[in-house]
Amino acid sequence: MDEDVLTTLKLLIIGESGVGKSSLLLRFTDDTFDPELAATIGVDFKVKTLAIDGNRAKLAIWDTAGQERFRTLTPSYYRGAQGVILVYDVSRRDTFVKLENWLNELETYTTRMDLVKMLVGNKIDKDDREVDRNEGLKFARKHSMLFIEASAKTKDGVQCAFEELVEKILQTPGLWESDNTGQRLQLGEQQQGGGRACGGYCSIP
Amino acid sequence: MAADSDTESEVFEITDFTTASDWERFVSRVEEVLNEWKLIGNSEEKRLSEKSEFTSGTWEENFEEINFADFKFEITYHFLKQEHVKSNKKEELEEDAVPLAVQNLLSENNDFPPRAHCLVRWYGVQEFVVISPGSNCEAIISESKCNLLLSSISIALSNSGCQVPVFVQIQHKWRRMYAGECLGPGLRTDFEMVHLRKVPSQYNHLSGLLDVFKSKISCTISPVPPVSIAIRFTYILQDWQQYSWPQQPPDFDTPLGGEVGGVEFGKLPFGACEEPISELHLATTWPRLTEGLVVDNDVYSDLDPLQAPLWTVRVRTTENPQCLLGDVLSEFFKLCCIKETAEEILGRGMAEDEGKENSDISSALSKLTEPSATVPIHKLSVSNMVHSARKHIRRQRHMDESPLNAGILNTILLYLFPDAAVEKPSEYTKTKSEQSNTPGKTEQDKNSDNLFSQLKSAPSDSLTYRLALCLSLVNYNYGGLRAVAHVWQEFVLELRYRWENNYLIFGLAGGSPDLRCCLLHQKLQMLNCCIERKRARDDARKVLDEGKERAHRESGSSAAAVTSTKEVSPGKSWDSWSDSEEEFFECLSDQGDMDAPQTEEEKTGSKRKAEGRLHQYNSMNLLNSSEPLYVPVTQEPAPMTEDLLEEQSEVLAKLGTSAEGTHLRARMQSACLLSDMESFKAANPGCILDDFVRWYSPRDYVEEEVVDDTGSLVMKGHLSARMKIPGNMWVEAWETARVTPARRQKRLFDDTKEAERVLHYMAMQKPADVTLHLLPCLIHGTILKLKEEEATENIPSVQISLQQVVSQASRLMQTPARDYKRLEEFINRLIAMETVITQARSLKAKFSICDKAENREDLEIFVRSLLEEPEVLVIGAGQGPAGSIIHRMFVSAQRAAVLAPLDEDLNQERQSTESSRVPDFPSPAGREILLRTCVPRPAPYSKALPQRLFCVLLKDEFRLAGAFSSDTCFF
Ligand SMILES: Nc1nc2c(ncn2[C@@H]2O[C@H](COP(=O)(O)OP(=O)(O)OP(=O)(O)O)[C@@H](O)[C@H]2O)c(=O)[nH]1
Ligand SMILES: [Mg+2]
Repeated sequence: MDEDVLTTLKLLIIGESGVGKSSLLLRFTDDTFDPELAATIGVDFKVKTLAIDGNRAKLAIWDTAGQERFRTLTPSYYRGAQGVILVYDVSRRDTFVKLENWLNELETYTTRMDLVKMLVGNKIDKDDREVDRNEGLKFARKHSMLFIEASAKTKDGVQCAFEELVEKILQTPGLWESDNTGQRLQLGEQQQGGGRACGGYCSIP
Repeated sequence: MAADSDTESEVFEITDFTTASDWERFVSRVEEVLNEWKLIGNSEEKRLSEKSEFTSGTWEENFEEINFADFKFEITYHFLKQEHVKSNKKEELEEDAVPLAVQNLLSENNDFPPRAHCLVRWYGVQEFVVISPGSNCEAIISESKCNLLLSSISIALSNSGCQVPVFVQIQHKWRRMYAGECLGPGLRTDFEMVHLRKVPSQYNHLSGLLDVFKSKISCTISPVPPVSIAIRFTYILQDWQQYSWPQQPPDFDTPLGGEVGGVEFGKLPFGACEEPISELHLATTWPRLTEGLVVDNDVYSDLDPLQAPLWTVRVRTTENPQCLLGDVLSEFFKLCCIKETAEEILGRGMAEDEGKENSDISSALSKLTEPSATVPIHKLSVSNMVHSARKHIRRQRHMDESPLNAGILNTILLYLFPDAAVEKPSEYTKTKSEQSNTPGKTEQDKNSDNLFSQLKSAPSDSLTYRLALCLSLVNYNYGGLRAVAHVWQEFVLELRYRWENNYLIFGLAGGSPDLRCCLLHQKLQMLNCCIERKRARDDARKVLDEGKERAHRESGSSAAAVTSTKEVSPGKSWDSWSDSEEEFFECLSDQGDMDAPQTEEEKTGSKRKAEGRLHQYNSMNLLNSSEPLYVPVTQEPAPMTEDLLEEQSEVLAKLGTSAEGTHLRARMQSACLLSDMESFKAANPGCILDDFVRWYSPRDYVEEEVVDDTGSLVMKGHLSARMKIPGNMWVEAWETARVTPARRQKRLFDDTKEAERVLHYMAMQKPADVTLHLLPCLIHGTILKLKEEEATENIPSVQISLQQVVSQASRLMQTPARDYKRLEEFINRLIAMETVITQARSLKAKFSICDKAENREDLEIFVRSLLEEPEVLVIGAGQGPAGSIIHRMFVSAQRAAVLAPLDEDLNQERQSTESSRVPDFPSPAGREILLRTCVPRPAPYSKALPQRLFCVLLKDEFRLAGAFSSDTCFF
């Protein structure tokens, strides 16, 4: 199966503690929601192969702990990431307010200038929403990120978030070509932005 | 085919048939190709080229191979690409319009194009087909073969109706001899050529050539229509005289003059060592002369170059002139391929000596690092030993044929470690190195900051960067590979010396290794982290020695000052990253209570005295007591270099993606969490996990308003659901955690081991490895140098190139695997930029552009175009500002050529008479004469058609390229 994997992409999930990073990842890789998931210590790691336009890309996804104290440890894993998912909890404004800090951190520690960033507002299933969708959208536009709202619990938007991120990375020249595989993906017709059936998706160039 | 012909003709036919078949096949193949390329008929998509379009437009070509029997020919269609021409005059397009190529013969729009195929230059054609023998086939020399080929083409042209001229190349390739034909409706143009090695004297001037032309067109009508004439003479200037290249070749023998010596190692040299502009070609053109109005014969000529209406200039650059910056860079790059180790390079004798010393050291060290070692580190005077070893090696070296003498070596070391100039009180070193790390940078610095992270090099004020510049110069100027190996060894010794003696390494940003920099830089930073922690530990030890009592009282604050020390967690089930060596931050007298068995009480910490408090936390109180909640002094996590990190993430990734893998991973990384819990317990006697979570992960402590027994609203808090899961790692860790302040915990970061690892790594690097490590820094330096030099010249092409080069370099340097071929290409690109800058400087000097020069701006534009365009028009020709400078250059070169052998102190009079006899210009190196007319041929009543003769007169070449059209209907 690995033979037709054309490229391996390194992705990163960051954001405040408890916003649901590990839950989103678990939903994406195993399509389950585990309310008994422990708070992450250090970093965790998962792999998933994704088919995009008939090509397979292997995703190595690093899930980081959001606790303040681990933050001296985790940036080491930012290195070489091609895509990053920045998560906040729509039911906790403080997690949204902290986004700016995370972006600064990212700026400081990532090695690639052309890193693709995606903002995910999680837990939209909850009814005590504190952050409006438009606020997320505005933030994403301001910082040239992809944006989607999702729920790890109901699986809304989760698959789509990862797919769009990967697709965007593959469209970004130079971002993955230096990968050891050295092969060029032959991508079919690329529609700019989200012509795909993802309601919540919006691309800011 | 001829089955029922009579016998005689049958025989004839058969013989003819075999020979004809190759030939016929060839002809039909030519037709096929012409068809394929759609060259049939008069296409309305083409139009006559406009003024200068041959230069501004793009030329393209189609290519095929065709066979004549076994003989391979290449057939190529050259054409000037034109934007799709919308033919609004479709109706006007006459059936029998003259083919484009024939119209081209008379067009004056593109005479003497600066860059074009020779056939374009000679015949002015904007599209044509050439058939020439394949690359490894013989030339077509015999006349019969030439004729056969030409008639094939005639037939192919008339069969297909193609109106594009077709040429065949005959004779040896170097002679560039072509014969060709163009067929149009009712007309044919023959292209003929004469090529001789010498110019026959009767044709050495315009009047002779006019005679040839006229006799060839043998015009029978009168009056004979006038011939229009275009002439171009080219003069070459090779002798620059006083306009010579201003660059001083660097003096390598005395650059280390005393106090400035150190500075020299930080400066990359720049500039060409030889004249980068080899020749200047001046073309003087008379674009339109009429026969009879100009005289040029064997005794007299009107053609004075100074009076020519059109001057154009081109420069010839020296191919790969030796340039200093490029040399330094490429010589350094060459070291990447050296296989030998430093010892092998420096000679065995020395290495053996060293080996002995080293083995002494390493055995001492291994004693130190053995887990069972009981000797406290400070009691071993390893540092003294190493230092004396070092002195010994140095002495040894200097007596042997060391590639570097002591003076230079000291200068180098002083440049690399400027803090060593002063006797090293540790405080001094500390302040200095901290100074170099303080932020508050200027705008300029910010830019270069960005550059170092793009190139993955190191900041331009760092030790690593200086080392790169220094080694490249040592390699270039002071003894090559051996000297590099020597300096590297000295460098590593100095690092060890600093580690042993607690001197910080100067010129490195503090804190954890900067992963944006090259690995070598990270390693140096790592070593500095180790030195810093060791020093802090030793300092604390000193405090303790001064009085145990006091130390006890102040343990909290003294530990706070050195939180950087790291620890390993105890307990087998909590294996962590750190090594097994048991060393504690303050492994001294109070170690005892560490080993005491812990009772249940102690685990909860209820009866203990609080230890290691940092400060109160948000004025919160513990849940189970009225004591304030304190943030404990904690250990910092271990700094990491990218190779360690890689190793670690590989191990982590290998654990797999199962739930079990996740659990294991968390456990492996929990050392820090556990250490924090222990510190927390020590600082907060009587605390519970809830207290810890309130500080450590506040979002996991949920506070809600609830109605209590009495019916009033109170805030009640509890752990979040995920923290309450039984057996989760946090609970588990909490239960395992002992009550231990950070200062008595095992180190999370073993600086001793880490430092030895770094030093060992450094010692193992071969010169080639070092070169590869430092290459990004040298490229960084090169780019900065190019930027600096370009800034004074302002050359757009270099500016653009510099931008591209940065992103190209960033791509090359960010990938861990080095692609030597691409690196070499890249380095050549940098060298090319240096060359262009030196060319610009040379030209500027020659055209004496300085701030007060008149017409400075015009001249600057002129000089810039010389480097960017194939040929540049001189505004005002011989009378313009640039023209008069060029004129002067020729004059002085001419005089020098004549006067050179004479004494300098000639009297004035003699000089003036002498110079009056010397012409201002040498005889032209090339003369091109283009004759055109339109006359009826072959008969007086035929259509008047374009005729053209292009004559080239060089020192060793005489060429006449004629195109003669004749009417094929009325003759
Ligand atoms: N209602 C709801 N709860 C969610 C959702 N996603 C996560 N949660 C809950 O939020 C809590 C935190 O989720 P985690 O995935 O552990 O959060 P995290 O971002 O990984 O946290 P750290 O590892 O501490 O950085 C858990 O109790 C989850 O069950 C969601 O989409 N909807
Ligand atoms: Mg998590």
